[in-house]
Formats: sequence, C-alpha cells, structure tokens
Amino acid sequence: MAILRKDLIRELRTREMLISMILFVLLAMVIFHYAFSVKAGADLTYFTGGMLWVTFIFAMLLGLNRSFAQEKDERCLDGLLLCPVDRVTIFLAKTAGNLIFLLIIQVVAVPVFTLFFVERSYAGDLLPFLVVLLLADVGICALGTLLATISMNTRSRDLLLPIIFLPLIVPVLIAATGATTLIFAEGAGFGGLLARVLFLLGFDAVFIVAAYGTYDFAIGE
Amino acid sequence: MSDAPDRQDGRIHLEIEVEGLRKTFGRREVLKGLSFSLERGGFLSIFGPNGAGKTTTLRVLATLLTAGAGTVRVAGHDVREDPMPVRRTIGFISHNPMLYLDLTAEENLRFYADMYGVADREARLTELLERLELSHRRHDVVRTYSKGMRQRLAIARAILHRPRVLLLDEPHSGLDPRAVDILDDLLTEIRDEHTFVMVTHNIAKGLEWGTRLMIIENGRIAYEHAAGVDPESFSAVYREHVQEGSVL
Repeated sequence: MAILRKDLIRELRTREMLISMILFVLLAMVIFHYAFSVKAGADLTYFTGGMLWVTFIFAMLLGLNRSFAQEKDERCLDGLLLCPVDRVTIFLAKTAGNLIFLLIIQVVAVPVFTLFFVERSYAGDLLPFLVVLLLADVGICALGTLLATISMNTRSRDLLLPIIFLPLIVPVLIAATGATTLIFAEGAGFGGLLARVLFLLGFDAVFIVAAYGTYDFAIGE
Repeated sequence: MSDAPDRQDGRIHLEIEVEGLRKTFGRREVLKGLSFSLERGGFLSIFGPNGAGKTTTLRVLATLLTAGAGTVRVAGHDVREDPMPVRRTIGFISHNPMLYLDLTAEENLRFYADMYGVADREARLTELLERLELSHRRHDVVRTYSKGMRQRLAIARAILHRPRVLLLDEPHSGLDPRAVDILDDLLTEIRDEHTFVMVTHNIAKGLEWGTRLMIIENGRIAYEHAAGVDPESFSAVYREHVQEGSVL
C-alpha cells in the first residue's frame, strides 16, 4: 500500500504520466479519425475495438517507461530494495499503480472514442464491456510491469521495452479487440465473448504467476 | 578486533562475518575471495582504488547484490538465505540519497517508515527532522533542497528504522564543507549506537573513525590493520595501493 500511495501522490503532484498518456490517446483518436475518413458516413464500428486497444497499449508504453524512470532517479530503487518487503509486493504495487493510471485514461478515452466511431448504443452491454476492459488491463499492466522491470536495468531501456512488450501483448490485443468489437458491433453474444474472456483470464493468471516466480531475479541485479 | 570489542558475556559478538566472498559481473571477477569480520560497535574503514570492489562489497552486505560464492552474515543472518532480517538491521547511506525528489521530506520519511513498519512513525520522523535541522522545510519537495540538505535527509531515511549496522558509501562525496561538518557531527552523535562499514577515499575521516582499516585492491584485501596506525605510515601504504594501483 505504501508504494502505491507514494506513486499516486507523486503522479498527482507532477501529472507527468497522466497528462502525456491522455494527450497521446486524444491525439491518436484525431489521427484515426482522419486516417479512416475515406468515405463520408462510413461505419467505423468494426474498427473501434482495434483502434482503442492499439491506442491503450501504446499509451501504456509511455506510462511504463515513466513509472520506472522515477525509481532510477537518485537511485530510489536501491532504497526500495533495501526495505524488508517481498519483491512480489513491489510488483503487485507497481502493477496496481499502472492499472489505476490506465483506468483513468480509459475513463476519458472510451466515451470520446465511442462517441466518434461507434454508431450502435452498447449501454445494455456495459457490464460485459467493463469485464473485458478490466481483464485486458490487468494483462497489459502485469506483463508491462514485469518487462519494464527487466528493461529498467539495461542501457537501452526505452528501446528494449517496446521490442519485448509488443510481441508478447499481441494475444491480449487479439482477444480484447475481438471482444470489444463484438460488444460494440453486435452486442455481447455469449459464446464468442466467453471464449475471449476466459482467454484473457488465463493470460492474466499466467503472467501474474510468471512474475511471482521471476520478479526477484527481474528486479535484482 | 576493535579497540573496544563488545564482550558483555565474555565473547566477542561479530556483527559482520564475510568468508570467501566472490562476485563476478559477466566474465569479470570483481571480488576474489574476501574474508573479514567486524565486531558489534566496530567501525571498518575501507579504502581502495576505483573499481577495486569496495562498493560491490558494501552492496552484497546490503543484500542489493547476490554473492557469487562464499558466505556473508550480518547480525547473524545469512544475506542470501535470510535477507529480510538483514534489511531490518542495516541502514545504507551513499552519495545518492535514494529520495523521491517530487515528494516532501515528510512524505519521503513516511513512505520509508511504512516500508520498514516503524511503529511510532509520526513521532520518529518529527524527532529526526528536528535532529537534522530540517523541520522548517518538512513540507517542501526534496527537489528544492540543496545537496547538503538532501544528504541530511538521506541520513534520516537510513536511521529511521533504528538499524544496528550502518553502511556508508562515500558519504562525503560532493558535499560542501558546511554539509561535511553537519554530516560528521551527526555520525559522531550516533557513533556509539551503531556498527559502521564505510567506503571512502577520505584518509583523514577513515583514520579518525575507523577501529579497523582495510584496503581492497583488485578484488582482494591488500592491507588490513586495527586502529591506531600512524597516519604518515598509512598514507604511504595508501599511496602504494590506491594511487599507484588505481585502475583509472
């Protein structure tokens, strides 16, 4: 809790991560709007899920780099590692912090995106959408936090993180995009959505367990 | 091993025991079988050329690095097998303050107090901020502090949880003379309450405080002596090992 509280106080004071992430998301929306305006009145509902998740993943990359850069400043990471807390606790706190920041930008981005691109009302499918959103977010943040920790100790961490993060997050992208498109375009059909939700659940479990087993090594030397 | 060993029950209590410590980074062996010990209340001053392995030794003691081979025990606990009690026992002060620049002094200390589970958190941080003459700036973010003020706050961070062992990595580095005086006064004040291991290039400070002196050169102990050595002769030894042996 102390690590999460510290990260939240720091971010609320500087707004470094949130402002850059929100600006990125809004700019991406504008770019998508013009890029896909090939025909007046074209229905972009089927593309909205993809646009949303690609935007969130790239926005999260910005945030992940910042969230560990502050620990490297003034060697705060050493201070953290000197504390008598389990390394997995650090992972869970960092993941929770990243999840909160991602949820905040989604609160801003999702209504704006759907207003611009989705023609069908999905108000009745809000609960399944929130489930998909939360499960995909947990996967993005768990994997992202683990990989950001690994890349943090390398000289070219800004380059390394996208190179290792993007290929591994593709399964989440596929499942989350499929589920979101299904909800936006056709409504939450039980079969197709359940398979994707279960896949996201499995992905989250795999990477949380993987982090549990490897984080001591990842954050160590 | 010191001038005033802790012999309350007739035995010397060793606070730090290092036996055959080896550490490799990639293909480069940085520590090549160090062995030494330090009794409770002792003050070990470690000198050596840059790249000799001094800071690596300190970081292994602090559980920040894992030993490649050998055994390292702090306050009776193996740093690899049982790191949690070791972390509760040690405080680490280096020339990097390990403070969050966008948090206030109070927020920094509160964070570390929570991490260490300090029971009397508010009273303790108030006491330390007063002792370190930082009370008037307790609500200011650390980014606005001078180097000396940051170093004072770093000391507060390091002793917040009342550690028995203090590890100092070039604590005077980059400080102005006034800040050095404040730091020295503080260390003198808490001298009797702690066991110290200090890595330094400052011969005068190392000789003044050290109950045991050590020079590490190329990953090995090149010189070891109890306190009381003549400064002139130590300077000659220091020049031989540190200046002529410097890897820079």
